Amino acid sequence: MREVAIIGVGSTVMGKFPEMLPYELGARAARAAIEDAGISPRDLQFAYCANLYGGMVIGQAVLAEVGITDIELTNIENACTGGATGIRKAWWDIASGLYDIGIAIGVESITTSAMAGKLITPARGDITGELGMNMVARFALAQRRYMDTFDVSLEQIAKVSVKNHHNGCLNPYSQYKKEVTIEEIINSRSICEPITLLQCCPSTDGAAAAVLVSGELAKKYTSQPVIIAASVLKSGDYSFRWEDMTFSDMTSKCTREAYEMAGLGPEDINICELHDAFAVNELLHYPELGFCKRGEEVRLLEDGVTELGGKLPVNASGGLLSKGHPVSASGVAQIAEIVWQLRGQAGERQVANAKVGLAHVIGGEVTGLESGAVSVHILKV
Amino acid sequence: MKTRVPFREGLFEESEGKGALVGAKCKQCGQVVFPRREPCLNCLGQDLESVKLSRRGKLYTYTIVHMPSEHYQPPYAVGWIELPEGIRVFGQIRGWQEHPLKVGMAMEVSFEKLWEEEEREVMGYVFRPSTNGGGA
Repeated sequence: MREVAIIGVGSTVMGKFPEMLPYELGARAARAAIEDAGISPRDLQFAYCANLYGGMVIGQAVLAEVGITDIELTNIENACTGGATGIRKAWWDIASGLYDIGIAIGVESITTSAMAGKLITPARGDITGELGMNMVARFALAQRRYMDTFDVSLEQIAKVSVKNHHNGCLNPYSQYKKEVTIEEIINSRSICEPITLLQCCPSTDGAAAAVLVSGELAKKYTSQPVIIAASVLKSGDYSFRWEDMTFSDMTSKCTREAYEMAGLGPEDINICELHDAFAVNELLHYPELGFCKRGEEVRLLEDGVTELGGKLPVNASGGLLSKGHPVSASGVAQIAEIVWQLRGQAGERQVANAKVGLAHVIGGEVTGLESGAVSVHILKV
Repeated sequence: MKTRVPFREGLFEESEGKGALVGAKCKQCGQVVFPRREPCLNCLGQDLESVKLSRRGKLYTYTIVHMPSEHYQPPYAVGWIELPEGIRVFGQIRGWQEHPLKVGMAMEVSFEKLWEEEEREVMGYVFRPSTNGGGA
Protein backbone atom coordinates (compact mmCIF):
# COMPACT_ATOMS: atom_id res chain seq x y z
CA MET A 1 0.00 0.00 0.00
CA ARG A 2 1.14 3.52 -0.76
CA GLU A 3 1.49 6.24 1.82
CA VAL A 4 -1.31 8.81 1.70
CA ALA A 5 -1.09 12.43 2.82
CA ILE A 6 -3.50 15.28 3.40
CA ILE A 7 -2.35 18.50 1.72
CA GLY A 8 -5.39 20.71 2.08
CA VAL A 9 -8.32 21.12 4.46
CA GLY A 10 -11.18 23.57 4.68
CA SER A 11 -14.27 24.17 6.75
CA THR A 12 -17.17 26.52 7.03
CA VAL A 13 -17.84 28.20 10.32
CA MET A 14 -20.28 25.89 12.12
CA GLY A 15 -23.68 27.28 13.06
CA LYS A 16 -27.25 27.72 11.92
CA PHE A 17 -27.52 28.96 8.33
CA PRO A 18 -31.16 28.74 7.21
CA GLU A 19 -30.36 30.94 4.19
CA MET A 20 -27.73 28.54 2.86
CA LEU A 21 -28.57 25.38 0.94
CA PRO A 22 -26.48 22.29 1.67
CA TYR A 23 -24.56 22.46 -1.62
CA GLU A 24 -23.53 26.05 -0.90
CA LEU A 25 -22.03 25.02 2.44
CA GLY A 26 -20.28 22.07 0.79
CA ALA A 27 -18.87 24.23 -2.00
CA ARG A 28 -17.51 26.73 0.49
CA ALA A 29 -15.60 24.00 2.35
CA ALA A 30 -14.41 22.33 -0.87
CA ARG A 31 -13.08 25.62 -2.26
CA ALA A 32 -11.23 26.30 1.00
CA ALA A 33 -9.62 22.84 0.95
CA ILE A 34 -8.61 23.15 -2.70
CA GLU A 35 -7.12 26.58 -2.10
CA ASP A 36 -5.31 25.33 1.01
CA ALA A 37 -3.87 22.45 -1.04
CA GLY A 38 -2.70 24.83 -3.74
CA ILE A 39 -4.18 22.72 -6.52
CA SER A 40 -6.59 23.39 -9.36
CA PRO A 41 -10.05 21.87 -8.91
CA ARG A 42 -9.40 20.14 -12.24
CA ASP A 43 -6.53 18.16 -10.66
CA LEU A 44 -9.00 16.11 -8.64
CA GLN A 45 -9.56 12.58 -9.95
CA PHE A 46 -12.29 11.45 -7.58
CA ALA A 47 -14.51 12.66 -4.76
CA TYR A 48 -16.61 11.44 -1.85
CA CYS A 49 -19.37 13.50 -0.34
CA ALA A 50 -21.01 12.47 2.94
CA ASN A 51 -24.48 13.70 3.80
CA LEU A 52 -27.49 12.45 5.75
CA TYR A 53 -30.41 14.86 5.28
CA GLY A 54 -29.70 16.84 2.11
CA GLY A 55 -31.27 14.71 -0.61
CA MET A 56 -30.21 13.31 -3.95
CA VAL A 57 -26.64 13.50 -5.40
CA ILE A 58 -25.55 16.33 -3.18
CA GLY A 59 -21.87 15.74 -3.97
CA GLN A 60 -22.54 16.50 -7.62
CA ALA A 61 -24.30 19.74 -6.66
CA VAL A 62 -21.39 20.71 -4.39
CA LEU A 63 -18.66 20.00 -6.91
CA ALA A 64 -20.51 21.50 -9.88
CA GLU A 65 -20.30 24.79 -7.96
CA VAL A 66 -16.56 24.40 -7.66
CA GLY A 67 -15.93 23.46 -11.30
CA ILE A 68 -15.53 19.72 -10.92
CA THR A 69 -17.56 17.38 -13.14
CA ASP A 70 -17.03 14.15 -15.05
CA ILE A 71 -15.07 12.31 -12.34
CA GLU A 72 -15.75 9.31 -10.11
CA LEU A 73 -17.96 10.78 -7.40
CA THR A 74 -19.63 8.78 -4.64
CA ASN A 75 -22.18 10.07 -2.17
CA ILE A 76 -21.99 8.50 1.29
CA GLU A 77 -24.50 8.06 4.10
CA ASN A 78 -23.12 6.58 7.33
CA ALA A 79 -24.80 8.79 9.95
CA CYS A 80 -22.30 10.62 12.18
CA THR A 81 -19.53 8.48 10.72
CA GLY A 82 -20.27 9.58 7.14
CA GLY A 83 -17.49 12.15 6.90
CA ALA A 84 -14.87 9.80 8.31
CA THR A 85 -16.12 7.12 5.91
CA GLY A 86 -15.33 9.46 3.02
CA ILE A 87 -11.79 10.02 4.36
CA ARG A 88 -11.36 6.27 4.72
CA LYS A 89 -12.57 5.57 1.18
CA ALA A 90 -10.42 8.34 -0.29
CA TRP A 91 -7.43 7.00 1.65
CA TRP A 92 -7.98 3.53 0.17
CA ASP A 93 -8.46 4.79 -3.39
CA ILE A 94 -5.01 6.37 -3.20
CA ALA A 95 -3.27 3.77 -1.00
CA SER A 96 -4.34 1.06 -3.44
CA GLY A 97 -2.85 2.94 -6.40
CA LEU A 98 -6.19 3.48 -8.14
CA TYR A 99 -5.95 7.28 -8.03
CA ASP A 100 -3.38 9.86 -6.97
CA ILE A 101 -5.47 12.79 -5.78
CA GLY A 102 -9.02 13.24 -4.54
CA ILE A 103 -11.27 15.10 -2.14
CA ALA A 104 -13.50 14.02 0.75
CA ILE A 105 -16.31 16.35 1.73
CA GLY A 106 -18.86 16.19 4.51
CA VAL A 107 -21.89 18.46 4.48
CA GLU A 108 -25.02 18.84 6.58
CA SER A 109 -27.74 21.43 6.75
CA ILE A 110 -30.12 20.49 9.53
CA THR A 111 -31.92 23.85 9.50
CA THR A 112 -33.05 23.48 5.88
CA SER A 113 -33.99 19.80 6.35
CA ALA A 114 -37.12 18.12 7.65
CA MET A 115 -35.16 17.37 10.85
CA ALA A 116 -35.03 21.03 11.92
CA GLY A 117 -35.94 21.34 15.61
CA LYS A 118 -36.42 17.59 16.07
CA LEU A 119 -34.53 14.92 17.92
CA ILE A 120 -32.72 12.60 15.56
CA THR A 121 -34.38 9.18 15.58
CA PRO A 122 -33.63 5.82 13.97
CA ALA A 123 -34.89 5.21 10.41
CA ARG A 124 -38.65 4.98 9.92
CA GLY A 125 -40.07 1.63 11.06
CA ASP A 126 -37.10 0.76 13.28
CA ILE A 127 -38.44 -1.13 16.32
CA THR A 128 -36.72 0.88 19.04
CA GLY A 129 -37.64 4.05 17.15
CA GLU A 130 -41.32 3.05 17.18
CA LEU A 131 -41.00 2.51 20.93
CA GLY A 132 -39.66 6.02 21.57
CA MET A 133 -35.88 5.83 21.05
CA ASN A 134 -33.93 8.87 19.92
CA MET A 135 -30.24 9.71 19.88
CA VAL A 136 -30.32 11.66 23.15
CA ALA A 137 -32.18 8.85 24.91
CA ARG A 138 -29.63 6.37 23.57
CA PHE A 139 -26.83 8.12 25.45
CA ALA A 140 -28.96 9.20 28.41
CA LEU A 141 -29.49 5.47 28.98
CA ALA A 142 -25.72 4.89 28.97
CA GLN A 143 -25.21 7.90 31.25
CA ARG A 144 -27.75 6.71 33.83
CA ARG A 145 -26.08 3.30 33.96
CA TYR A 146 -22.60 4.86 34.13
CA MET A 147 -23.49 7.26 36.93
CA ASP A 148 -25.14 4.52 38.97
CA THR A 149 -22.56 1.77 38.50
CA PHE A 150 -19.40 3.92 38.62
CA ASP A 151 -20.67 6.42 41.20
CA VAL A 152 -20.07 9.40 38.94
CA SER A 153 -21.89 12.71 39.56
CA LEU A 154 -23.60 15.00 37.10
CA GLU A 155 -21.17 17.74 38.18
CA GLN A 156 -18.25 15.57 37.06
CA ILE A 157 -19.85 14.85 33.68
CA ALA A 158 -20.69 18.54 33.22
CA LYS A 159 -16.98 19.36 33.47
CA VAL A 160 -16.53 17.90 29.96
CA SER A 161 -18.95 20.47 28.64
CA VAL A 162 -17.24 23.29 30.58
CA LYS A 163 -13.87 22.29 29.07
CA ASN A 164 -15.09 21.95 25.50
CA HIS A 165 -17.09 25.18 25.58
CA HIS A 166 -13.96 26.92 26.83
CA ASN A 167 -12.02 25.50 23.88
CA GLY A 168 -14.78 26.56 21.50
CA CYS A 169 -14.27 30.18 22.59
CA LEU A 170 -10.79 29.96 21.06
CA ASN A 171 -11.93 28.52 17.73
CA PRO A 172 -13.22 30.86 15.00
CA TYR A 173 -15.01 27.88 13.38
CA SER A 174 -17.00 27.10 16.53
CA GLN A 175 -20.79 27.41 16.65
CA TYR A 176 -20.66 28.46 20.31
CA LYS A 177 -18.08 30.87 21.62
CA LYS A 178 -19.37 31.10 25.15
CA GLU A 179 -18.09 29.78 28.45
CA VAL A 180 -20.59 27.75 30.47
CA THR A 181 -20.56 26.84 34.15
CA ILE A 182 -21.38 23.55 35.84
CA GLU A 183 -24.47 25.18 37.38
CA GLU A 184 -25.71 26.45 34.00
CA ILE A 185 -25.23 22.99 32.49
CA ILE A 186 -27.03 21.13 35.26
CA ASN A 187 -29.85 23.69 35.45
CA SER A 188 -30.43 23.86 31.70
CA ARG A 189 -33.57 22.24 30.29
CA SER A 190 -33.83 18.47 30.72
CA ILE A 191 -33.91 16.64 27.36
CA CYS A 192 -33.63 12.98 28.37
CA GLU A 193 -32.76 12.56 32.05
CA PRO A 194 -30.02 12.92 33.20
CA ILE A 195 -28.95 14.73 30.01
CA THR A 196 -29.72 18.44 30.01
CA LEU A 197 -29.50 20.79 27.04
CA LEU A 198 -25.94 21.97 27.71
CA GLN A 199 -24.69 18.39 27.89
CA CYS A 200 -25.80 17.98 24.25
CA CYS A 201 -24.12 18.98 21.02
CA PRO A 202 -26.20 21.58 19.18
CA SER A 203 -28.05 21.10 15.93
CA THR A 204 -25.52 22.34 13.38
CA ASP A 205 -25.19 23.30 9.74
CA GLY A 206 -21.74 23.16 8.23
CA ALA A 207 -19.29 21.46 5.92
CA ALA A 208 -15.66 20.44 5.82
CA ALA A 209 -13.36 19.02 3.15
CA ALA A 210 -9.92 17.46 2.80
CA VAL A 211 -7.69 16.92 -0.21
CA LEU A 212 -5.78 13.62 -0.14
CA VAL A 213 -2.83 12.68 -2.34
CA SER A 214 -0.23 9.94 -2.57
CA GLY A 215 2.78 10.49 -0.33
CA GLU A 216 4.94 10.85 -3.42
CA LEU A 217 2.75 13.53 -4.99
CA ALA A 218 2.44 15.41 -1.69
CA LYS A 219 6.05 16.58 -1.99
CA LYS A 220 5.15 18.44 -5.16
CA TYR A 221 2.58 20.57 -3.36
CA THR A 222 3.81 21.08 0.17
CA SER A 223 6.73 20.82 2.53
CA GLN A 224 4.22 20.11 5.31
CA PRO A 225 2.22 17.02 4.36
CA VAL A 226 0.17 15.33 7.09
CA ILE A 227 0.43 11.55 6.77
CA ILE A 228 -2.53 9.25 7.36
CA ALA A 229 -0.92 6.68 9.66
CA ALA A 230 -4.12 4.73 10.22
CA SER A 231 -7.61 4.66 8.77
CA VAL A 232 -10.15 2.20 10.17
CA LEU A 233 -13.91 1.92 9.72
CA LYS A 234 -16.15 -0.72 11.27
CA SER A 235 -19.86 -1.47 11.43
CA GLY A 236 -21.53 -2.30 14.71
CA ASP A 237 -21.82 -5.77 16.20
CA TYR A 238 -25.00 -7.38 17.55
CA SER A 239 -26.08 -5.92 20.85
CA PHE A 240 -26.59 -9.41 22.34
CA ARG A 241 -22.78 -9.65 22.25
CA TRP A 242 -22.42 -6.22 23.86
CA GLU A 243 -21.68 -6.84 27.49
CA ASP A 244 -21.65 -3.33 28.94
CA MET A 245 -23.64 -0.47 27.44
CA THR A 246 -21.27 2.03 29.05
CA PHE A 247 -18.26 0.68 27.13
CA SER A 248 -18.25 0.83 23.33
CA ASP A 249 -16.77 -2.45 22.07
CA MET A 250 -16.87 -1.01 18.55
CA THR A 251 -14.70 1.95 19.49
CA SER A 252 -12.32 -0.22 21.46
CA LYS A 253 -11.84 -2.72 18.61
CA CYS A 254 -11.56 -0.01 15.97
CA THR A 255 -8.95 1.86 18.04
CA ARG A 256 -6.84 -1.25 18.61
CA GLU A 257 -6.77 -1.85 14.86
CA ALA A 258 -5.82 1.76 14.23
CA TYR A 259 -2.91 1.64 16.68
CA GLU A 260 -1.71 -1.58 15.10
CA MET A 261 -1.93 -0.12 11.61
CA ALA A 262 -0.03 3.02 12.66
CA GLY A 263 2.53 1.13 14.71
CA LEU A 264 1.73 3.57 17.49
CA GLY A 265 0.04 3.43 20.88
CA PRO A 266 -2.09 5.72 23.02
CA GLU A 267 1.10 7.07 24.66
CA ASP A 268 2.09 8.55 21.27
CA ILE A 269 -1.07 10.63 20.82
CA ASN A 270 -0.58 14.38 21.37
CA ILE A 271 -4.07 15.53 20.44
CA CYS A 272 -7.47 13.89 20.03
CA GLU A 273 -10.79 14.91 18.55
CA LEU A 274 -13.42 12.44 19.72
CA HIS A 275 -17.16 12.02 19.41
CA ASP A 276 -18.50 14.12 22.29
CA ALA A 277 -22.08 14.31 21.00
CA PHE A 278 -22.99 14.33 24.70
CA ALA A 279 -20.70 15.26 27.58
CA VAL A 280 -20.74 11.75 29.02
CA ASN A 281 -19.48 10.29 25.75
CA GLU A 282 -16.12 11.96 26.08
CA LEU A 283 -15.51 10.32 29.46
CA LEU A 284 -16.69 6.93 28.24
CA HIS A 285 -14.41 7.10 25.20
CA TYR A 286 -11.19 7.79 27.16
CA PRO A 287 -10.62 4.15 28.18
CA GLU A 288 -11.94 2.84 24.85
CA LEU A 289 -9.26 4.89 23.09
CA GLY A 290 -6.63 3.57 25.51
CA PHE A 291 -6.06 6.90 27.27
CA CYS A 292 -6.71 5.43 30.71
CA LYS A 293 -8.02 2.36 32.46
CA ARG A 294 -11.71 1.87 33.00
CA GLY A 295 -12.87 3.84 36.01
CA GLU A 296 -10.04 6.40 35.73
CA GLU A 297 -11.75 8.63 33.15
CA VAL A 298 -13.07 11.22 35.60
CA ARG A 299 -9.62 11.54 37.15
CA LEU A 300 -8.08 12.07 33.71
CA LEU A 301 -10.49 14.95 33.16
CA GLU A 302 -10.22 16.44 36.65
CA ASP A 303 -6.40 16.25 36.61
CA GLY A 304 -6.46 18.46 33.51
CA VAL A 305 -4.75 15.90 31.28
CA THR A 306 -7.30 16.41 28.50
CA GLU A 307 -7.63 20.19 28.68
CA LEU A 308 -5.62 22.65 26.59
CA GLY A 309 -2.21 22.78 28.21
CA GLY A 310 -2.58 19.21 29.48
CA LYS A 311 -0.59 16.21 28.27
CA LEU A 312 -3.31 15.01 25.91
CA PRO A 313 -5.76 17.74 24.93
CA VAL A 314 -9.09 16.28 23.82
CA ASN A 315 -11.45 18.28 21.62
CA ALA A 316 -9.27 21.38 21.50
CA SER A 317 -11.59 22.56 18.71
CA GLY A 318 -14.50 22.73 21.15
CA GLY A 319 -15.63 19.28 20.04
CA LEU A 320 -19.14 18.51 18.92
CA LEU A 321 -20.43 20.09 22.14
CA SER A 322 -19.23 23.60 21.30
CA LYS A 323 -17.85 23.64 17.76
CA GLY A 324 -21.07 21.89 16.73
CA HIS A 325 -22.11 18.62 15.13
CA PRO A 326 -23.03 18.91 11.44
CA VAL A 327 -23.68 15.15 11.37
CA SER A 328 -21.98 13.95 8.17
CA ALA A 329 -19.44 16.77 8.18
CA SER A 330 -18.13 16.13 11.68
CA GLY A 331 -15.70 13.35 10.71
CA VAL A 332 -14.07 15.60 8.10
CA ALA A 333 -14.13 18.64 10.40
CA GLN A 334 -12.18 16.64 12.99
CA ILE A 335 -9.57 15.77 10.35
CA ALA A 336 -9.32 19.45 9.40
CA GLU A 337 -8.76 20.40 13.04
CA ILE A 338 -6.02 17.81 13.50
CA VAL A 339 -4.29 18.90 10.29
CA TRP A 340 -4.28 22.52 11.49
CA GLN A 341 -2.95 21.42 14.88
CA LEU A 342 -0.18 19.28 13.39
CA ARG A 343 0.85 22.14 11.08
CA GLY A 344 0.85 24.60 13.97
CA GLN A 345 -1.96 26.68 12.44
CA ALA A 346 -4.57 26.33 15.20
CA GLY A 347 -4.21 29.84 16.58
CA GLU A 348 -5.23 30.40 20.19
CA ARG A 349 -6.16 26.75 20.69
CA GLN A 350 -2.83 25.46 19.33
CA VAL A 351 -1.43 22.42 21.15
CA ALA A 352 2.34 22.85 21.44
CA ASN A 353 4.49 20.44 19.43
CA ALA A 354 1.64 18.18 18.34
CA LYS A 355 3.04 15.46 16.09
CA VAL A 356 0.39 12.74 16.23
CA GLY A 357 -3.38 13.19 16.36
CA LEU A 358 -6.31 10.81 16.65
CA ALA A 359 -9.86 11.38 15.35
CA HIS A 360 -12.82 9.27 16.43
CA VAL A 361 -16.47 9.29 15.37
CA ILE A 362 -19.31 6.88 16.02
CA GLY A 363 -22.96 7.00 15.06
CA GLY A 364 -26.15 5.61 13.70
CA GLU A 365 -28.85 3.84 15.68
CA VAL A 366 -30.53 0.67 14.53
CA THR A 367 -32.35 -2.04 16.47
CA GLY A 368 -30.16 -5.01 17.36
CA LEU A 369 -26.72 -3.43 16.95
CA GLU A 370 -24.45 -1.57 19.36
CA SER A 371 -24.38 1.35 16.94
CA GLY A 372 -24.14 1.94 13.20
CA ALA A 373 -20.53 2.68 12.42
CA VAL A 374 -17.30 3.82 14.03
CA SER A 375 -14.12 5.21 12.56
CA VAL A 376 -10.68 6.05 13.91
CA HIS A 377 -7.99 7.93 12.01
CA ILE A 378 -4.45 8.62 13.19
CA LEU A 379 -2.58 11.46 11.49
CA LYS A 380 1.08 12.36 11.92
CA VAL A 381 3.75 14.75 10.73
CA MET B 1 -64.66 -0.32 19.47
CA LYS B 2 -61.40 0.24 17.68
CA THR B 3 -59.51 -2.63 16.10
CA ARG B 4 -56.43 -3.65 18.03
CA VAL B 5 -53.30 -4.27 15.98
CA PRO B 6 -49.72 -5.01 17.10
CA PHE B 7 -47.18 -2.31 16.16
CA ARG B 8 -45.21 -5.10 14.52
CA GLU B 9 -46.17 -8.69 13.72
CA GLY B 10 -44.39 -11.61 15.35
CA LEU B 11 -42.85 -9.93 18.38
CA PHE B 12 -45.26 -11.13 21.04
CA GLU B 13 -48.29 -13.27 21.78
CA GLU B 14 -50.98 -11.76 23.95
CA SER B 15 -54.63 -11.77 24.68
CA GLU B 16 -56.51 -9.74 27.29
CA GLY B 17 -53.24 -8.10 28.33
CA LYS B 18 -51.55 -11.41 29.21
CA GLY B 19 -48.83 -12.92 27.10
CA ALA B 20 -45.12 -13.04 26.38
CA LEU B 21 -42.46 -11.70 24.09
CA VAL B 22 -41.44 -14.30 21.54
CA GLY B 23 -37.79 -14.78 20.71
CA ALA B 24 -35.77 -17.55 19.13
CA LYS B 25 -33.24 -19.91 20.69
CA CYS B 26 -30.55 -21.57 18.63
CA LYS B 27 -30.30 -25.30 19.28
CA GLN B 28 -26.68 -25.26 18.15
CA CYS B 29 -25.12 -22.43 20.21
CA GLY B 30 -27.89 -21.67 22.69
CA GLN B 31 -28.08 -17.95 21.85
CA VAL B 32 -31.46 -16.36 22.44
CA VAL B 33 -32.40 -13.44 20.22
CA PHE B 34 -35.32 -11.06 20.21
CA PRO B 35 -37.00 -10.52 17.81
CA ARG B 36 -36.88 -13.94 16.12
CA ARG B 37 -34.42 -14.28 13.28
CA GLU B 38 -33.33 -17.16 11.06
CA PRO B 39 -30.65 -18.32 10.75
CA CYS B 40 -29.10 -17.78 14.20
CA LEU B 41 -27.50 -14.34 14.24
CA ASN B 42 -24.72 -15.66 16.46
CA CYS B 43 -23.56 -18.87 14.72
CA LEU B 44 -25.71 -18.93 11.56
CA GLY B 45 -27.18 -22.27 12.73
CA GLN B 46 -30.41 -23.22 10.98
CA ASP B 47 -32.08 -25.07 13.83
CA LEU B 48 -33.97 -22.59 15.99
CA GLU B 49 -36.98 -22.84 18.24
CA SER B 50 -39.41 -20.14 19.22
CA VAL B 51 -39.24 -19.36 22.90
CA LYS B 52 -41.44 -17.28 25.12
CA LEU B 53 -39.21 -14.89 27.00
CA SER B 54 -39.37 -14.41 30.75
CA ARG B 55 -42.03 -11.96 31.82
CA ARG B 56 -39.73 -10.51 34.45
CA GLY B 57 -36.33 -8.93 34.30
CA LYS B 58 -34.19 -6.23 35.84
CA LEU B 59 -34.00 -2.59 34.90
CA TYR B 60 -30.56 -2.22 33.29
CA THR B 61 -31.01 1.51 32.72
CA TYR B 62 -33.73 4.07 32.00
CA THR B 63 -34.38 7.65 30.98
CA ILE B 64 -37.31 10.04 31.17
CA VAL B 65 -37.71 11.73 27.80
CA HIS B 66 -38.77 15.38 27.77
CA MET B 67 -39.12 15.90 24.02
CA PRO B 68 -42.01 14.69 21.87
CA SER B 69 -41.49 11.83 19.44
CA GLU B 70 -43.64 10.66 16.56
CA HIS B 71 -46.02 8.66 18.76
CA TYR B 72 -45.45 9.91 22.30
CA GLN B 73 -45.90 13.11 24.21
CA PRO B 74 -43.42 13.96 26.98
CA PRO B 75 -42.67 13.09 29.60
CA TYR B 76 -42.37 9.39 28.87
CA ALA B 77 -39.92 6.77 30.09
CA VAL B 78 -37.93 4.18 28.16
CA GLY B 79 -35.35 1.69 29.28
CA TRP B 80 -33.44 -1.51 28.72
CA ILE B 81 -34.64 -4.54 30.63
CA GLU B 82 -32.21 -7.35 31.27
CA LEU B 83 -33.88 -10.74 31.00
CA PRO B 84 -32.70 -13.99 32.59
CA GLU B 85 -32.11 -15.30 29.05
CA GLY B 86 -29.05 -13.02 28.94
CA ILE B 87 -30.43 -10.42 26.55
CA ARG B 88 -31.68 -6.88 26.97
CA VAL B 89 -34.98 -5.67 25.56
CA PHE B 90 -35.75 -2.01 24.92
CA GLY B 91 -39.18 -0.67 25.69
CA GLN B 92 -41.42 1.97 27.11
CA ILE B 93 -41.68 2.03 30.87
CA ARG B 94 -45.02 2.76 32.46
CA GLY B 95 -45.93 3.30 36.08
CA TRP B 96 -42.76 5.28 36.74
CA GLN B 97 -44.63 8.17 38.35
CA GLU B 98 -46.01 5.86 41.06
CA HIS B 99 -42.88 3.71 41.43
CA PRO B 100 -39.65 5.74 41.07
CA LEU B 101 -37.22 3.93 38.80
CA LYS B 102 -33.91 2.58 39.99
CA VAL B 103 -31.25 0.67 38.10
CA GLY B 104 -31.50 -3.01 39.06
CA MET B 105 -35.15 -2.98 40.12
CA ALA B 106 -37.49 -5.82 39.13
CA MET B 107 -39.63 -5.13 36.07
CA GLU B 108 -42.44 -6.98 34.39
CA VAL B 109 -43.62 -6.99 30.80
CA SER B 110 -47.12 -5.80 30.04
CA PHE B 111 -49.05 -5.60 26.78
CA GLU B 112 -50.72 -2.26 26.30
CA LYS B 113 -51.82 0.32 23.82
CA LEU B 114 -48.84 2.29 22.44
CA TRP B 115 -50.75 4.85 20.40
CA GLU B 116 -54.01 5.32 18.52
CA GLU B 117 -54.58 5.82 14.85
CA GLU B 118 -57.91 6.71 13.23
CA GLU B 119 -59.65 3.36 13.52
CA ARG B 120 -56.98 1.42 15.34
CA GLU B 121 -55.35 0.94 18.69
CA VAL B 122 -51.73 0.05 18.15
CA MET B 123 -50.58 -2.50 20.71
CA GLY B 124 -47.09 -3.28 21.95
CA TYR B 125 -45.11 -4.36 24.95
CA VAL B 126 -44.16 -2.06 27.77
CA PHE B 127 -42.45 -2.70 31.08
CA ARG B 128 -43.72 -1.81 34.53
CA PRO B 129 -42.03 -1.94 37.92
CA SER B 130 -42.82 -5.36 39.34
CA THR B 131 -45.21 -4.94 42.22
CA ASN B 132 -44.78 -8.40 43.74
CA GLY B 133 -41.01 -8.25 44.14
CA GLY B 134 -38.35 -10.72 43.14
CA GLY B 135 -36.44 -11.16 39.90
CA ALA B 136 -37.26 -13.66 37.20
